[in-house]
Amino acid sequence: MGARGDSAPRPRLVALALIAAALTAGVSCAHIDGDPDPSDPWERMNRGTFRFNEGADRWVIEPIAKGMDFVLPDPVERAIRKFYENSMIPVHFLNAILQFKPVTAIEDLARFVVNTTIGVAGFFDPATHFGLEAHHEDFGQTLGYWGVPPGPYLVLPLLGPSSPRDTVGLVADSASLVYPWFVTIYVSSSISVFRQLNRRSLAIDEIAAERQAALDYYVAVRNAYLNYRENLVNDRTVDEADEADEADEDDLYYID
Amino acid sequence: MRRTRTISITSTDRRTGGVLPLARRAAAVLVAVMSGFAAPSVRAATESEAGARAVIAETVDQVLAVLRDKSIPTEDRIHSLEQIVYGRFDLYVMSRLVLARNWKRFSEEQKKQYVEEFKRYLTNSYGSRIERYDQQEVNIIGTREEPRGDVVIQTKIVGGEFEGALVDYRLRKQDSEWRVIDVVIEGISMVSNYRDQFKSIVSSGGPELLLEKLREKNAAGMSIE
Repeated sequence: MGARGDSAPRPRLVALALIAAALTAGVSCAHIDGDPDPSDPWERMNRGTFRFNEGADRWVIEPIAKGMDFVLPDPVERAIRKFYENSMIPVHFLNAILQFKPVTAIEDLARFVVNTTIGVAGFFDPATHFGLEAHHEDFGQTLGYWGVPPGPYLVLPLLGPSSPRDTVGLVADSASLVYPWFVTIYVSSSISVFRQLNRRSLAIDEIAAERQAALDYYVAVRNAYLNYRENLVNDRTVDEADEADEADEDDLYYID
Repeated sequence: MRRTRTISITSTDRRTGGVLPLARRAAAVLVAVMSGFAAPSVRAATESEAGARAVIAETVDQVLAVLRDKSIPTEDRIHSLEQIVYGRFDLYVMSRLVLARNWKRFSEEQKKQYVEEFKRYLTNSYGSRIERYDQQEVNIIGTREEPRGDVVIQTKIVGGEFEGALVDYRLRKQDSEWRVIDVVIEGISMVSNYRDQFKSIVSSGGPELLLEKLREKNAAGMSIE
């Protein structure tokens, strides 16, 4: 597992989490009703890991995030999020190139230049006001663009919803970040842990509301993740929906 | 209206932009050059698209007006939003689509109860979150007519916390009126999300279990207020 860079926590923590998740998955008799979802053949294991993640969130991550939320005003947290997003642009740029999207790549580059300079190292986002919009191309999407299927739904310990394709993407993107190569692993891990805590802190209310509202929170998250990723790979449009999508759509909107 | 309340980030950005006209002009040139690459094909909207679009434009205006009027107590604003949404959403079609094939397993009485409970469930789920959406604008960025007559209105959120998010509304015409039957946020369809959640409940415990769970949630949602 690529322990460097973006969204990769400390390796020892990951190892610990893996063991804990394996144990949890082993002992919990995940009760699965009805037909298994075809996109989630590993549901039993995933539910175990999901339960572990929920526990970790409830007892450790959310309390810390709430503390951050108390200390830092939301605008500051949003500025921090912008800073991190800006620092990820080189990775997005690389992936835009790998997907043969020159316009996206140029826009990313221009955004990076504008926001790093005028936007004070990325804490502000003047580029959006110049009409340069944010893109998000990661290596998971690049693989999708090349025709690699996502594979079964996969919940990673602590990192959350993913798929085999997106896990490979995560590792590749982490490796293509430049700064972690110049600092020790503890520094780069702390930076990514702080980033995740900051993001979590901005979503406290949304996640609490969603948890409370969902009839089956695991399924709600799975559905959201799978559709969100598919949509990103298709560049957030369905204009070129192929015939398979049309069939799906009929299934979704016409039931008789 | 918006400027008065926008918290520092956006206004600071705007000020920064004003200080450097040269950079802004350079960026504008860059954008102009690039938009030459990706000129969208322009075509006239069909009659259906225009009809559905008008519904969304009007609804968005009404909703934003309610969200921004902080002089009215939250409870009353939630009530106004409910009235707007109930008029514009076809909650019957929506709840039916959510059940999909399981709809037929419900008796007439169960169907009636389910539609009522689902409506309350949606209201409780979204009503409590309204305080966070007052700083945004909604732009309609496209319309699309589906093969079987539904129309999708594509919108984008500008400003506020969800800057840049894409939200699609799917509308269906019934009795000469366009009503929303699904909301798709960044590819995540409300109908599909609830359908996945409800499916396993109905297949394990039948219609009664789903009704029971919805009632449970609704009762809990009420006590939290």
